[in-house]
Amino acid sequence: MTRYRYAYNALVYYGEDIADSIDRVARLGYDAIEVVGEPAELDPKRIKRLTDDAGITVSSICSIYTPERDLAHPDPAVRANAVQYVKDVADFAATMGAPTIIVHPTACMKTQPLAAPEDERRWAVEGIRAAGEYAAPLEVNLSLECWNRYETYFMNRLEQAASLWREVGLSNGGIQGDTFHMSLEEASIPDAFRQYGALLQHVHLADSNRAAPGAGHLDFLPILQALIDVGYSGYLSFELLPASADPFGAMKAGGQEAFFDQYTEQAIRHMKEVESRLQEAA
Amino acid sequence: MRFGASTFIWESPFGDDKLHLAQRVASLGFDTLEICIEDPARVSADAVRRAAVDAGVTIAVCGAFGPNRDVSHEESSRRRLGIDYLKTCIDLAAAVGAPNVIGPMYSATGKTRLLPDSEREQQRTWAADSLREVGQYAAARGVGLAIEPLNRFETDLVNTVEQGLDLCGRIGLDNVGLLLDTFHMNIEEKSIPGAITAAGTRLRHFHACENDRGAPGSGHVEWDDVFAALAGTGYDGLVVIESFTPEIKEIARAVSTWRPVAQSGDALARDGLAFLKQKVLAQA
Repeated sequence: MTRYRYAYNALVYYGEDIADSIDRVARLGYDAIEVVGEPAELDPKRIKRLTDDAGITVSSICSIYTPERDLAHPDPAVRANAVQYVKDVADFAATMGAPTIIVHPTACMKTQPLAAPEDERRWAVEGIRAAGEYAAPLEVNLSLECWNRYETYFMNRLEQAASLWREVGLSNGGIQGDTFHMSLEEASIPDAFRQYGALLQHVHLADSNRAAPGAGHLDFLPILQALIDVGYSGYLSFELLPASADPFGAMKAGGQEAFFDQYTEQAIRHMKEVESRLQEAA
Repeated sequence: MRFGASTFIWESPFGDDKLHLAQRVASLGFDTLEICIEDPARVSADAVRRAAVDAGVTIAVCGAFGPNRDVSHEESSRRRLGIDYLKTCIDLAAAVGAPNVIGPMYSATGKTRLLPDSEREQQRTWAADSLREVGQYAAARGVGLAIEPLNRFETDLVNTVEQGLDLCGRIGLDNVGLLLDTFHMNIEEKSIPGAITAAGTRLRHFHACENDRGAPGSGHVEWDDVFAALAGTGYDGLVVIESFTPEIKEIARAVSTWRPVAQSGDALARDGLAFLKQKVLAQA
């Protein structure tokens, strides 16, 4: 029986010192923390020391794809900047011993192409390949994450990520599903994980409303069963965000206390209950 | 239970020149064509009524809410434009025998701002005051309003049934209720059947859509639970399949549909209707 390792994405702990975030996830029984990919703002050596002291690891880096970090942008300077960003995040991850950095080919919330689809795809493939080749000797893996239709037009389903990943042709990494996005885009979340399970590098969990598992209507039992059946052995990382088209703005505005202690505790408890039920059934 | 199909499955903008869709939905087995009034100048009541009678279908009337039809805008002149537009839709509904004017009529679709609580409260008050005037106008013509909550990426004002019921309460009219849509509820509600039950007798219209906007039955919405909850509320209104053709760029962009979710509009409507009818039979 697989016993999954859990991480919580510090993205939602907006405005908090990472030391407090690390302390919280360690205290609430997590194996790891997912760190926001802002190498210029966060000190990876300090995070490495803090996580070592707390007895946890860094599971992954949640990269932030802004319009200036668009791997499929028609302007070569923007693409070069985007590739450099992914390389910087790879260095950042390597310093903390994090095995995975998350990659999406375009900017988050970009819902209109700026060039012909075949050009955008070629640029994305070239950029991801260049960054991945840089990351390989650092023992850092790329994880191509799908987002829902309101956050990107480029890659919404695992099928699309699998196709892109195969074209990129790297051996260090794979694709990523996030159950919140999948709940909008996939006909069946467990079936999608089964179909593309061999390519999975990383998994984000959130309920149907992006709150902690148990707070929405997703049934995580068949989802976890599918991940076990395909032999997924990576981290299960909770990426929970407020119910807004601008979740980071909502965090800045405040009033989202539930995402700190309450959901951090509830998320792992819910998934461990699901794991226990699967174990009893086995 | 009666079933309808939205004009958005095939065409946008709707107008008298698209009334062949009445025959199309009739031949696919639907009882009702839901027409979206993007531009009232393109639609005449006489032509719609005639096409509906010829095809043997009834008409549902849905509004489309852009920045110049915003009944909760901070400028009263903009609110007035929204009120006037809704009255035009009500006149049309009355003339073609549609029971309700439906849609996310409380704000401009796509407005997703972060507002302090006091400003949000003011916006809700404007929405309620505007829609009370509209609702009274509708009542005098034997028409109702069915207000549609949208998911977080499409509006900041009414995302959940609970928020929709709060708005209905502020409006305070018997002919004003809700339109619930399974696509939006899949994102926002903790329990879809629970939300339908909470709406209860306020439910005036229903959109049956899959979680990815494909044909009902092709995704992960739990339809048995949906229909059990509808039966529990005693709902006897329309169940309409709404999806958006990805072939028309403007509408695809407006609803973020980047890929075909079915082989064709006809396939989506036909497969969806066959599935829904089978689910209703199973309930009976």
